[in-house]
Amino acid sequence: MKNFVIPLLCLIATVAAYAQPRPQKLPKFNKNKEKEVFLKKQWFLGFKAGANVSGADVTKQYSVLSPSNYDLTEIEKKYKNYRNLGAHAVIEATFYFSGLSLSFQPTFRHNSFEYSNSYAWIDTENPGNALELIYTQTQNLDYFDFPVLAKYEKMFNKLSPYVQAGIYSSIRVNATKSVDIQGTDFASGGANQFKDETIIVGAKDLYAKNHWGLLGGVGVYYNLGNVRLNLDIQYRKGMSNIASTENRYSNNQLSGVGDTLDDMRLNSILISAGSIFPLRFLAKNFRSTDNRK
Amino acid sequence: MKKVSLLCLLISGFIFSCTEKSDPSFDQANFTSVIDNKIFSSGIYPIALRQTTDDGYLILAERTIAESTFRGVYVMKADKYGKFVKETLLDDNFVNPIGPIITSGNTLSFICMDAFSLQAQLISIDENAENPTITPIGGITYPAAVDVDGTSGFVLLSYNQEEKNTIVSRHSITGAFVGNSLALTIGAGEDVEEPIINHFLRTGKRLPFQVGKIPDGGYFFNGFYNYTLSLMFSNLSQNPTLGVVQGQQDDGGFSAVHPLGGSKFAASRFNFGDNFFLPNVNLATNGTTTAVDLGGFSFPELVTNAPVKIMSKPINGANTLIFATDTKSKQIGLFFYNESTGMFLSSRYLGFSNPFEVASITSTRDEGLIVCGTTYLAGRFPRICLLKLSKEELAKQL
Repeated sequence: MKNFVIPLLCLIATVAAYAQPRPQKLPKFNKNKEKEVFLKKQWFLGFKAGANVSGADVTKQYSVLSPSNYDLTEIEKKYKNYRNLGAHAVIEATFYFSGLSLSFQPTFRHNSFEYSNSYAWIDTENPGNALELIYTQTQNLDYFDFPVLAKYEKMFNKLSPYVQAGIYSSIRVNATKSVDIQGTDFASGGANQFKDETIIVGAKDLYAKNHWGLLGGVGVYYNLGNVRLNLDIQYRKGMSNIASTENRYSNNQLSGVGDTLDDMRLNSILISAGSIFPLRFLAKNFRSTDNRK
Repeated sequence: MKKVSLLCLLISGFIFSCTEKSDPSFDQANFTSVIDNKIFSSGIYPIALRQTTDDGYLILAERTIAESTFRGVYVMKADKYGKFVKETLLDDNFVNPIGPIITSGNTLSFICMDAFSLQAQLISIDENAENPTITPIGGITYPAAVDVDGTSGFVLLSYNQEEKNTIVSRHSITGAFVGNSLALTIGAGEDVEEPIINHFLRTGKRLPFQVGKIPDGGYFFNGFYNYTLSLMFSNLSQNPTLGVVQGQQDDGGFSAVHPLGGSKFAASRFNFGDNFFLPNVNLATNGTTTAVDLGGFSFPELVTNAPVKIMSKPINGANTLIFATDTKSKQIGLFFYNESTGMFLSSRYLGFSNPFEVASITSTRDEGLIVCGTTYLAGRFPRICLLKLSKEELAKQL
């Protein structure tokens, strides 16, 4: 009989505990039971990722080739901006206070952009002797960005569109360059089109260790319970040179094929999707949109 | 509020302090430049380079001439970044220029040859590659090598076809003869002369003719003597002394010699295609010896009978020898040695994809090194290339 007494007492105590829950203790700051307290002051932590396109804003052109009988503009680099897709991932830590947010968004960003040079040689006495070459250089750059930005959002039911602006600093993580050479040789008895094997080289030292920029953008939150789903568009405008001025000609392989980096700023358009979670009041009686239903 | 301001200040400081700032001195200290022209049949082969007083560069080069195997004269001015500024093409009858460029005040001079009379010509030109003046050097034909002689003259190695003699002569900066000349027979027979003539016509092996002054007052010259390409030493006095280090006809001998003082030399030699460096060798400046007995460090990565340029250069306070040559991988190889011990320090290879060949290496005013050579754009168009290494880059070689 004694064997049943102790478990029975435990069961009764447990049932009693569930049957008469203690009233939930309100947070100290909300003892006045204010409405919309959830969004008056909140920390959010979240993650987003997406795709980006980037372009170079050239501030000074450089060239290995120095022409003696034609204009340098004939062989200048032609940039194909905002065509190559890159990717990025962002961790977002945001402090929200009455519609305004201050956000820190460490980002791993992979950018890609390309440019090309065209060269031609022709025999003035025998125009059939000619060679045309096109060098296409693709840069793949990896950065860690440290953006700090301010947001202003307005809530409409479950949707909260926002505008944002800020500043970022970037640390170069890795860089590679690939060079494709293709051409047409008219001197070999016909229009001989050829393509050399792609040259791929590590080019980390050719790029500046750091650069900084400004950013602006728009986005929208979709409030789903405690979670806020996020679609975000940012334009990051580089404000400092991404090329290493000291190591411009240091890569033997690239200098050997006539390539050197221009001084340039890197601009990117980033489209991201993700979600953020509140760090305060994570309880079932606090929902980000409850008091607006 | 103060804390927020301080934080903002710290963040701003971090962001702005780490950014890359444009610095023209970097562009001047390190660069690669290729001087191109659009002409399919054009071939420019540099020979010598000299830094000008405005920190630019004057480059002496050969150019291909239509319907002739001789090479014409091309002089070019580049700015301090190695970019093209100005070019001067001498008339087609002036051919086969030889370096180095000799300076006297603001006048720069070099030697070439008249294609018809085969007579040596002294060309003086200003630092902007303009206003060339031409002075024939009477009695000298087939100029093969030249070097400065003291402060106001030059010593010239040439070939006299009529007498079948190698000639060493000294001249003032105006071209006038100074002191005694030395004439040495190449040996009897047409076969002996053939490689010499092929060298001048650019139809055969380029022979490493060289002449120069040894710091203690004597002269050395690498030319044909007694059927053989030989390195010779003489005081060029009225009763000239003669020391000979014999090669193997035109198949062996010295490819470059750099006097270090007394009988000590840095040298390179070739023997039936193989190449050997001798960064610290004592050569007998009297009597007759043989080059093949000197041994040396073997370099199988170099092209057959590789052209070699040697210079002394202090790097980070250490006296260093730099050997520049052509590799089988079509790069310019730089090999660094300790000058006093001859110990190998390091190597560096310049160029990629397109072939690169060395023409000249010169120390620059900013303690850097400029390598002038030929690159073949698209693998086929010979053009001048300039590769500048800063003193910081050179210091990495120690």
